[in-house]
Amino acid sequence: MKKKWSMALAATTIATLLLTACGGGGGGTSESGAPSGSPAASGGGSAGTQTIRFATWDTGDALKIEQDIAKKFEESHPGTKIQVEAYADGFDQKLAAGFGATNPPDVMYMWDFPTYHQSLEPLDGYVSKDASLKVDDFYSGLFNYGKIEGKLYGIPAGFTSRVVYYNKKLFDEAKIPYPKDGWTWNDFQAISAKLSDKAKKQYGFGVRASNDTYDLQGFVWSNGSSFISDDGKKIDGYMNSKETAQAIQVFGDMVKNGSAVLVGGKGQQSGEDIFKAGKIAMWESGIWPLESFKTAGIDVGTVEMPAFPGKPVKGVIAESALSIAKDSKQKDLAWEFVKFYVSDEAIKMRKADLPVRVSVVNELKLDQDPLYKPFYTMLERSDNTPAFLLNAKWNEVNRQLSAAVEAVVQGSDAQDALNQAVKDSERYLK
Amino acid sequence: MTFRSLKRLFPFRSMRAKLLVCFLVVTIIPLLTLGALSYYQSAKMVNSQFGKYGENAVAQLEQQTSSYLSRMKQTTEAINSYLLDPARADLGNVAPTAYQEILDKNDFEDFLKALHTDRTAGIYVITRSGYFYGENNLDVAKLERTLAWGAESDPATGENWLGFYVQEHIVDAGSPERPVLGLAVSINNPYGALRGSKILVEENAEDLLRAFRLFERDTKAHLKITDPKGRVIYETQPGIPPGDRDIVWKKNLSANDWTIEARLPARDFFRSSGIIRSNTVMAAAASCLLAFGFAYLFSSRFTARIRRLKDSMQKVSFGKLHTRTKVEARDELGSLDISFNSMVEGIQSLVREVERTEALKKEAELRAFHYQINPHLLFNTLNSIQWKARLAGAEDIRQMLYHLAMVLEGNLEITQELVPLGRELRIIEHYLKIQEVRYGPVFRYELECDESLKDYLIPRMTLQPLFENIFFHGFEDGKGGIRLTIREAGSLLQLVLTDNGTGIAPDKLKRLLQPDAKRKGKGGLGVQNVDQKFKLHYGPQYGLTVQSRAGQGTTVMIQWPKKEDNRNGGGKHD
Repeated sequence: MKKKWSMALAATTIATLLLTACGGGGGGTSESGAPSGSPAASGGGSAGTQTIRFATWDTGDALKIEQDIAKKFEESHPGTKIQVEAYADGFDQKLAAGFGATNPPDVMYMWDFPTYHQSLEPLDGYVSKDASLKVDDFYSGLFNYGKIEGKLYGIPAGFTSRVVYYNKKLFDEAKIPYPKDGWTWNDFQAISAKLSDKAKKQYGFGVRASNDTYDLQGFVWSNGSSFISDDGKKIDGYMNSKETAQAIQVFGDMVKNGSAVLVGGKGQQSGEDIFKAGKIAMWESGIWPLESFKTAGIDVGTVEMPAFPGKPVKGVIAESALSIAKDSKQKDLAWEFVKFYVSDEAIKMRKADLPVRVSVVNELKLDQDPLYKPFYTMLERSDNTPAFLLNAKWNEVNRQLSAAVEAVVQGSDAQDALNQAVKDSERYLK
Repeated sequence: MTFRSLKRLFPFRSMRAKLLVCFLVVTIIPLLTLGALSYYQSAKMVNSQFGKYGENAVAQLEQQTSSYLSRMKQTTEAINSYLLDPARADLGNVAPTAYQEILDKNDFEDFLKALHTDRTAGIYVITRSGYFYGENNLDVAKLERTLAWGAESDPATGENWLGFYVQEHIVDAGSPERPVLGLAVSINNPYGALRGSKILVEENAEDLLRAFRLFERDTKAHLKITDPKGRVIYETQPGIPPGDRDIVWKKNLSANDWTIEARLPARDFFRSSGIIRSNTVMAAAASCLLAFGFAYLFSSRFTARIRRLKDSMQKVSFGKLHTRTKVEARDELGSLDISFNSMVEGIQSLVREVERTEALKKEAELRAFHYQINPHLLFNTLNSIQWKARLAGAEDIRQMLYHLAMVLEGNLEITQELVPLGRELRIIEHYLKIQEVRYGPVFRYELECDESLKDYLIPRMTLQPLFENIFFHGFEDGKGGIRLTIREAGSLLQLVLTDNGTGIAPDKLKRLLQPDAKRKGKGGLGVQNVDQKFKLHYGPQYGLTVQSRAGQGTTVMIQWPKKEDNRNGGGKHD
């Protein structure tokens, strides 16, 4: 009997509890839920894995390839994670912020050594100690770009020289023979004029509305001049020399006389897009657009840069290197990643620039491929030192120079514009 | 609701029903009260919380949107003030061609670029000629075709809020088109450069729209943003017709007088409290069922025993006295069972006793019939003999006859079984007179009896046989002493009859009061009858005790309850 009572009581109690529980819980009061996951589930790797942050300016396909390389590295190095950080257009801004906060990525793409070298780890020690890098296999000139005051801050990862692409179909239609190495700027201008037809909105050549002056150095050097003296102290007489002005004026004149069209300006398509559309016959660039030209179905050829009469053709190299941050906490692992990035395996995966290792070029027989050959002959012609390595203030000077070059392609006189630019820039060199 | 009024409502017939109801009332009332209370409390809480949550969410959205809008506004203001600087007067409406103009353009574009944040989708200044400043990726022709772009701007501020749209006027085909929030401002400064141009600021609205969608998903509310002219800037798809019971949270955007309104159908608003309600009702119903089940089980178990007891009682009342109920537990009901059983036992033995005494009475009556002589015959005969004796001059015989008639009268008057003590004593007097006539004055008789005791009752003809015994067994030729003492002892009367006769032999004494003992010869039957009379009238604990020693005499002691004679019949205790 007593048992019965307590059972009934228990049942009532349970029912009551149920009721209150439903009343309390059914409401779904929007208190913030408990933090999901463990408190350790933050961005940082757990104790078991080491994370290397790798910053790149690339986007799109190039970025995808870099991520694949990172995955490959993770596979061969268990317990390591490569965090690829794609800074894209904000590269300089974000990198500077990272260095400023002493929280930079461990490994990063680098080209502007004069600006950043103080935040980077000198790599001479690693190179000399680590025979597996096989320094001798690199194109020797490439190391010059990563050296500041005799110290090496970047391992060459990729490079490109610049060539002239041409649309074979347009040449065939106009019954013009394909350009050959050893041609001159006069040949170039004549061909361009022949291939231009304003009515059809078709032109022989595309002139960039805004040029990177770095890329123009090849023309200036080919005309026996340069933007700055070899000791990096003078621009007057170099940047505004007759030869420099002449080299730049070529493009202004071509736009003026209709044998070339301005591309990539306000609301205009880029030169690459127009070339892919078959509306310009010739285009001057590095290796980057080659793949996209092929996929666009353009029957494309490449040729060395034209020469100024009686002067040797000179080229300029765009190089990207890999650097390690001075503040990195895992420099050895970072070095391993850098080494892997410039290994044969990784180089072969990459399409957007040229292999830095002679062995890879030989293996792939790239220097015998007519499409690639001009890049390598231009590489041999690229032995001048770019202006930005000669003077730390080059960026300031470059503002005026860029404006002058833009004025020229917009129709101003090159000599006048360059004179003004020199006048405005002198104060930075004091 | 008291049980009494319950009873008025339902005239319950069975204990079980009453118990069940009691039990249910006791459990269900608090249960339902608790349920109702918890439902109302939690529903109130949930509703107010949800209301607050909604309000907060809308406020948050308002803040988020406002932060976009005000930043866009700030951006345009920064550009305006930049252009007010007289140094910028050379910025033209067409593409610059001269070195200095290009430097100015570059400065201006650097400034525009500096205004970029990670949310910026584009900052442009578009001149009337179609030339624009800013990133190189704007397709002005496409922009002109945008409906909102051509709309009138506010004459006061020059602002034209474009609202949300997909950024389709970007040249760069590589990037996917994304939703943006746009603001166009006409440059109206009278002194600055680029008068008549329009500033276009676009911010990536993906996060904001995601916040809207999140809000819609969380609250199920219908979101609508309208500008002061009533143009719909944003509206949840699909729309719902507004109802007048809808819950509405409304906020005004400080930046540009847009109104953000979240509308939630009442049905959705009260959904969560509805869930609580249905849960509560279900739980309450389940507990009521449970309670009912338990109550039913419990009460039926409980009342089953009561019913069994009741059935047993009924059987007993029908005369089945051998009925016994089962004793199950040692609680109150158990003791009730035990008491019932012992009660029935008692009744049974009582009935048996009654039957026995009835039988004895009958026997005695039969015997009485047997011995009955027609009293008239006897008295008439005695009178005749008296008459003869007088004629013969035998006075002593006549006296004996007279006393005998008196004694017999007492003996034959059988209408009353119990007679006052006084009368019995008078009969004894008559009897003793007879013996005196017979033997002469050779015996002593002492009577000690308080006058007040003479009204108490004594069974009829109980003393006479004892005196008879004394004269016929105790005395020789009537010689001896008799002493009769009657006293009260509490509620009892005590009668002691002592003689100094021969006494009774011990073996005879032993058999004297045993009714079934074999009788040897005469004597003893009278004593036994007297004893039986007392026992029959007053109970087995009363009656005679006889003490005797041979040659020393005999003492007879009788005890019986006091009962006074009242003429209305029936005795009473005092």
